[in-house]
Amino acid sequence: MIKLKDVERSYKTGAVQTWVLRRVNLTIREGEFITIMGPSGAGKSTLLNVLALLDDQWAGEYWFRDQPLHTMARKQRAEVAKANIGMVFQSYHLLDDLTVAENIDLPLSYKNISRSERQAMVADTLDRFQIVGKKDLYPSQLSGGQQQLVGIARAVIHKPLLLLADEPTGNLHSTQARDIMELFRSLNQQGATIVQVTHSDANAAYGDRVIEVRDGWVVKDTKPEPATSQVITQ
Amino acid sequence: MRAMTALLQDIRYALRQLRNSPGFTITAVLTLALGIGANTAIFTVLDQVLLRNLPVPHPDQLVMLRFTGLDDGSLHTHGGDNNDYFSFPMYRDLRDKGGVFTGLLATDSTDVGVGWHNETSFAPGELVSGNYFDVLGIKPAIGRLFVAADDVQPDANPVVVLSFAYWQQRFGADPSIVNQQVSINGHPFTVLGVTPPAFHSVVMGTSPAVFAPMTMKALIKPGTNDLLDRRSKWLNIIGRLRPGLGAMQAQAQIDTVWHGIRAEELKDFHHVSPRFREGFLDRSHLLLLDGGHGFSPLRDQVKIPLLIVMGMVLLVGLMACANVSSLLLVRAAGRVREMSIRYALGAGRAQVLRQLITEGLLLGLTGGALGVLLSPPIASFLFRHMEDSPGSTPFSSHADLRILVFNFGTAILVSLLFSLAPAFQFWRPDVVPALKDQASTLASGSLRLRRLTVGVQIGLSILLMVGAGLFVRTILKLKNVDVGFSTDHLVACSVRATLAGYDLKQTPELYRSIVARLSALPGVRSVAATSDAELANNNTGYNITVAGYQAREGEDTDVESEQVSPDYFKTMRMTLLAGRDIADSDGPATGKVAVVNEMMARRYFGDPARAVGRFYGNGGGNVPVDIQIVGVVRDAKHTGLREGILPTVFRPYTQQTPPGSMVFYVRTWQSPEDALNGIRQAIRRLDSRIVVDSLRTMDDQVDEALQTERMVALLAISFSALATLLAAIGLYGVLAYSTAQRTREIGIRVALGASRLSVISMVLSEVTWLAGISIAIALPLAMALTHFLKAQLFGVSTNDPLTMFVATTLAALVAMTAALLPAARAAKADPMTALRYE
Repeated sequence: MIKLKDVERSYKTGAVQTWVLRRVNLTIREGEFITIMGPSGAGKSTLLNVLALLDDQWAGEYWFRDQPLHTMARKQRAEVAKANIGMVFQSYHLLDDLTVAENIDLPLSYKNISRSERQAMVADTLDRFQIVGKKDLYPSQLSGGQQQLVGIARAVIHKPLLLLADEPTGNLHSTQARDIMELFRSLNQQGATIVQVTHSDANAAYGDRVIEVRDGWVVKDTKPEPATSQVITQ
Repeated sequence: MRAMTALLQDIRYALRQLRNSPGFTITAVLTLALGIGANTAIFTVLDQVLLRNLPVPHPDQLVMLRFTGLDDGSLHTHGGDNNDYFSFPMYRDLRDKGGVFTGLLATDSTDVGVGWHNETSFAPGELVSGNYFDVLGIKPAIGRLFVAADDVQPDANPVVVLSFAYWQQRFGADPSIVNQQVSINGHPFTVLGVTPPAFHSVVMGTSPAVFAPMTMKALIKPGTNDLLDRRSKWLNIIGRLRPGLGAMQAQAQIDTVWHGIRAEELKDFHHVSPRFREGFLDRSHLLLLDGGHGFSPLRDQVKIPLLIVMGMVLLVGLMACANVSSLLLVRAAGRVREMSIRYALGAGRAQVLRQLITEGLLLGLTGGALGVLLSPPIASFLFRHMEDSPGSTPFSSHADLRILVFNFGTAILVSLLFSLAPAFQFWRPDVVPALKDQASTLASGSLRLRRLTVGVQIGLSILLMVGAGLFVRTILKLKNVDVGFSTDHLVACSVRATLAGYDLKQTPELYRSIVARLSALPGVRSVAATSDAELANNNTGYNITVAGYQAREGEDTDVESEQVSPDYFKTMRMTLLAGRDIADSDGPATGKVAVVNEMMARRYFGDPARAVGRFYGNGGGNVPVDIQIVGVVRDAKHTGLREGILPTVFRPYTQQTPPGSMVFYVRTWQSPEDALNGIRQAIRRLDSRIVVDSLRTMDDQVDEALQTERMVALLAISFSALATLLAAIGLYGVLAYSTAQRTREIGIRVALGASRLSVISMVLSEVTWLAGISIAIALPLAMALTHFLKAQLFGVSTNDPLTMFVATTLAALVAMTAALLPAARAAKADPMTALRYE
């Protein structure tokens, strides 16, 4: 599904160039549940942003379902991202002034979908995530776990092929975190390809492959350790 | 002592704060300087023209006289209401029999030719009653002023008093001028003394150079011989009431005297109908109006325009205030933590409020001080537009104590107003979250307040743009008025023969010579002259009796009258509809002839062709009807561009008492500007004593006639441009602030697939809402308020759709332009920035 070839990313501060990703070569197959791990500042989130096409200042080759994204203009890449990628954030990033239903509808509002179709899709999603009763509430009226549930619902409403999650349980209580990870597993089993960034081995155990990043280099690409304990929050 | 220390500490801290934000400080101070400076300038003008009392003792005791009721007879006015004018015998009777006054003075304005050391120049003069200075309580700077005894016998006492400014300018402040003789209109007059520097005239807005006794009118205003004519009204009267007597009480007491005067006047009428008698006598009363401000035609002329301009500039001041409020709110956003720490450390609300007001006052007073510097050039510009000629008004653009009090009073008021917004913001601070989160942004309440201030600014700028638009349209309409003759390639100049020492009998020959000399100049097509200049706001008229026309009782049979030279209509390019032009052959020895305008012909004869050959006579009743109409010309504007057309008769100047001055019109082949110098030199060569006055092209004269309108339009445009700029800055500030606050939201939207265009349209939709609401409120308000401008407009309705459309479109465009930069910046928002919080 995704093939990265010698992808590099650096920041320039004055005369100093700081490398955050070095010659990353990575292949992600459809249906995989991949975990990116590593210490703080290793480049995990940067790699995730490159995969999400939020960052376009990288060098190298990025193939998505055999399309060479590295040759595309920013606008074309944005179209690919809009159609195929969903994103879940650690801080949920729900918009405070929108209700649950409106937040979920947000990605659809940027697509060429009729209002009635959107309403149907939002209703389906609310039902699927069992948050129909909360559709008119504002984010501030929800618990952290409920907010992340809405965040995931928003990420998957347009049925993306790839779901990216940046420390999705980082701000959650352990019970809520476990529920969220179960949801990811379920989504994966339904066919979604998932890439998550986490510090937690327990969370990593939900996936089927772990990529370890250190100082911008991919240093390991292995099967995860079997889970020996409860899912913990980071 | 402790309070003083705290205040000094507040000032020190405020100064440091302002120094640390130079961009904010400069913007706020400049905005305030413009707002306060413009207000101070307009107040400077308003104060001197409308508000100030005459600089005399007890101005509250002064009353200006005006009468009500029907009137008849001749009238020579120079502004104000026709019923402000009285005859000399009426004045004398009121003065001698009044009873309620300690003194009653009379005044009339006129230009004179002042000769000194063989050098003659025009100067503004004032004919005054002998008790003029006594009644006002004015003491001389040097010599002595008039006393009642100086003004008793007609033509018996050729004396003058000089004004202080003229004495300095013309005579080098030489005190030995007292008791020396100067030439006034070619006659020797003895200088008695000089007025004090602070006093100019009882006619506010004028600055006469010389004062002469009223009984010398025949020499001061040659050609007039009506001093003792009860029905010739030409002077204004100001009285000083007896101490303790109110105007209403005095008015009641003097009514009997006034009735007697009117009854005396009525005796001069031969045929009086009961209705006329009732209107002339029974319904006539003498009014004693507030005279503390003096008599002032200029004040009547500019009062409404000035009040309109003051209204506009107050709006600009309000906008400056709203703008600084808005800037302070932005700044307050960065100070939540500072204020929270202050509260946490035990500061009370009063202390926080004091700190904020100290900062506001520092800004306001600095802006006010700069405003004082900005104000004189603006006031000077306004005064220049009110003057007929440079220095003809006594107004000063320099700031005096009253102006400084107004300026700094405004600055303090404005400072308190704009300090309220941040003070309100910090009134109930939520200390704990602010400290815990180290927040640097304010709650949405601040943004709402800023949106409100910007909305108000957009609305106010629309109001000002609508006003400016209406004035501009008025000028355009006035400029395109068909005046009935061709103004291009036409030069006008005035020659006042009697002021150069000519006897009236000599003037016809002089005028003929001038026409001949000017006609011989290269590039000149034709030359003609009139006693009553076109489009110069002058009127001369009288009633007539038309042969075969039976006037109804009380019907107005007045006509406008001009004494003209041969070829007048040919030179002016006024179309002859029937008959002929005035010819050289129409002289004193031939039959009396006249050319009338179309309006006169249609009114009395039904058709221009039928008017030719008919007769009329000057005056009413059994007057000789001996003037034959020989031609009819198409109607043309005479008094001014705004005024309607009156029935008019044009007579050869050779067939009447010769006019003391004439206006010559020179039609040129080439550019009229090229002819100006030649005209001046040709008349000088004829007689060097003659001063050529008002030499200019007719197009320039038309332009000058529009000077009040142009002044108001120019100020309205300037104020609306300033207001729009302030609104644009305010809007930019709000959007820059709100988009900065929405960085996270915009980042999330982009991360979820929002395109740049959708982000731009999101920001612009905020502006569209804001501008839309402002327009929806401002437009009906503008429609209601423009009603007050009605009297100042011409040819355009107060709700002119084009003006409304242009003003709202401009406001919308400016709003969108101001929004583009923040919108573009928002569109470039990097979603990574939003996500980096993690």
